[in-house]
Amino acid sequence: MRQNVWMLSAALTLTLMASTGYAQLEQLGKGHLSGSFESYTQLYRKDTAIGATPPQDKFGSNNFFKLDYTYKQFSAGIQYEAYLPAIQGFPFVSTKLNTTEGKLVNRYFRYSGKQLSVQVGDFYEQFGSGLVFRSWENRQIGINNALEGANIQVQPVPFLKLKFVYGRPRKYFDYANAVVRGADAEIDLNTLVKAPDDAAVHFTAGGSYVSRFQSYTGNMEDFPATVNAWAGRLAMDAGSFSLNAEYVRKSSDPHLVNQYDESTGKALLVNTTYTGRNWGANLSIRSLSNMDFRAEREVEGTVLPVNYIPSLTKQHDYLTTNIYVYNPQVAGETGGQADVFVNLGSSKLSLNYAQYKALKTAGKLFQQGDMAYFRDGSLEWKKKWNNQWQSIAAYHYVFYNKSIVEGGNYENIKAHIGLVNILYKFAAKKSARLELQHLYTEEDKGNWAAAVAEFAFAPLWSFYLSDLYNYGKTDLHYYNFGGSFMKNGARFSLAYGRQRAGLFCVGGVCRYVPAASGFTASFTLSFNN
Amino acid sequence: MILKKILGLTVAACLLNIATSYGQENFPAVAIKSTSGRSVDFAKLIGDTKDTAIIVSFWATWCVPCVTELDNISDLYKEWQAKLPFKFLAISIDDARTSQRVKPFVTGKGWPFEIYLDVNHDLKRAFNINDVPYTLVIKNNKVVYQHVGYVAGNEEELFEKIKAL
Repeated sequence: MRQNVWMLSAALTLTLMASTGYAQLEQLGKGHLSGSFESYTQLYRKDTAIGATPPQDKFGSNNFFKLDYTYKQFSAGIQYEAYLPAIQGFPFVSTKLNTTEGKLVNRYFRYSGKQLSVQVGDFYEQFGSGLVFRSWENRQIGINNALEGANIQVQPVPFLKLKFVYGRPRKYFDYANAVVRGADAEIDLNTLVKAPDDAAVHFTAGGSYVSRFQSYTGNMEDFPATVNAWAGRLAMDAGSFSLNAEYVRKSSDPHLVNQYDESTGKALLVNTTYTGRNWGANLSIRSLSNMDFRAEREVEGTVLPVNYIPSLTKQHDYLTTNIYVYNPQVAGETGGQADVFVNLGSSKLSLNYAQYKALKTAGKLFQQGDMAYFRDGSLEWKKKWNNQWQSIAAYHYVFYNKSIVEGGNYENIKAHIGLVNILYKFAAKKSARLELQHLYTEEDKGNWAAAVAEFAFAPLWSFYLSDLYNYGKTDLHYYNFGGSFMKNGARFSLAYGRQRAGLFCVGGVCRYVPAASGFTASFTLSFNN
Repeated sequence: MILKKILGLTVAACLLNIATSYGQENFPAVAIKSTSGRSVDFAKLIGDTKDTAIIVSFWATWCVPCVTELDNISDLYKEWQAKLPFKFLAISIDDARTSQRVKPFVTGKGWPFEIYLDVNHDLKRAFNINDVPYTLVIKNNKVVYQHVGYVAGNEEELFEKIKAL
């Protein structure tokens, strides 16, 4: 049945394309064809020192193939994925209970006109900042909650944009046993009141409604099979100053992760930025209470999110700064972060401070409790000395409540991190880079030292060696070395070494990765005609 | 069944809308946002420039090689522009976690580029980009060069390509 629908859809696409004023199909060659292939393969070995236990066949490989074609207002595309099997720790469960599986998972057809856009098939969408709804893909983390259904966007009048979504969220190679539907309206207030284009202040307001239904077969009376969420937002931009706020409420949503808490979910997010001549700053404040929102009640981890709640902290780039990383406590937290960026010519400074604490009372967003979850302060100085030399030096202070972030019973951790990153360009296309890092702490596993050396021969080659060393307590070296080859839209890389067990975070979403040891090969290719 | 109904409605709506549509370029009509929050159609942004080369660089505030690349190009920007005018669009793929930092971050860098935001990766997906940094050169509505990754010295290669167009 479904196959027929897709065949029909393909046939209609061609017919519609051929009927848009260009009779000849060879005109289709003038469209935009884009595609990509991504393969990530690991060959595991047993490494008892770091606790790495390889899977039975010592092999894991995640593969993605995607193709999109656009001609005039029409687009169509597919995505094929194969896990042969999935790499260790990657959240994938085969539908056929096989160890390996490949499937054509996403396909869509889209028409984008001036006032109307319609997409059927698998689609990604976000309302506001995503606090109430976001469907997206992150291949490193293993999130793909695309909705299969329809996404319709209409602009009936210039000041109003409406979005309607309806569909089943993707769950591994199948779909959730649930339906998500939503609507979003965004009003450009300046256009509404016919303010001039160069008005000093620009206002936008928006509202969203999202509802998910999963049938309930248990014997509790009045159990909410449908969960409704509402959000309102306001944005103001006055050139050098901007302010954004979003408030969300979610109806009673008892599920596994919130331990069947029946209370209402609430969230408030306020962002403000200021930019001067040579500097900029921003401040984000966010409070959450019972905001874990999933398509199915029984899932956990990174599976089937409906909304998106990233940790609003500095996103770290280095081996030692990635040891104590915050994971937002969606059950309840309050806090925020501030950034300052300064341009001093050849020197650039950036400062960040983030802090999150428990709520004093569940459900009361503005009452801060005593228990601290996380604190992170950092100062980074980047300096370009001349055309050959540039450097980055940074200091970080971290307070990490390990019991809360990772679960379990641990002491709180206070760590100080210092690092330098030096780049030396010794010829027009040849460079060397050296990173030296140290993390000092009296708690947990004690001190860590790290070094990275990289040699690059532009445009094609780059090689690196790195070591992350936990000395004093475990005396373990997490060494890695490898190289990569890049040409046009293709990149191939090969590495050998050890991967530390811990939270692996990309884009503010984390999953736990097990300790691993062995070879990693990756290949990515993109093309656009 | 639902899909079939939706499909039927779609076709009807599309046919109805075709009459009122204008001639669009072949790049996907994807909405991205300016740093002041205004929605911009990428296809129109590209379509307006004709035979001026446009460099489209996908980057993120948390990506060290991306920031190094843009810093290095920023230093050479005036010199390059004097030799050969081109347009430079820096598309941030920072999502809701870090997108609010983009504007102050760019001010703190003093970059001369046109900055846009692609918060839910609609444009990144349309161009099938897996990793950042990713650079595309578009001329006369065609992608004429693309490159993934950055190591010091790649900017020389990029400028050589633009000069050779």
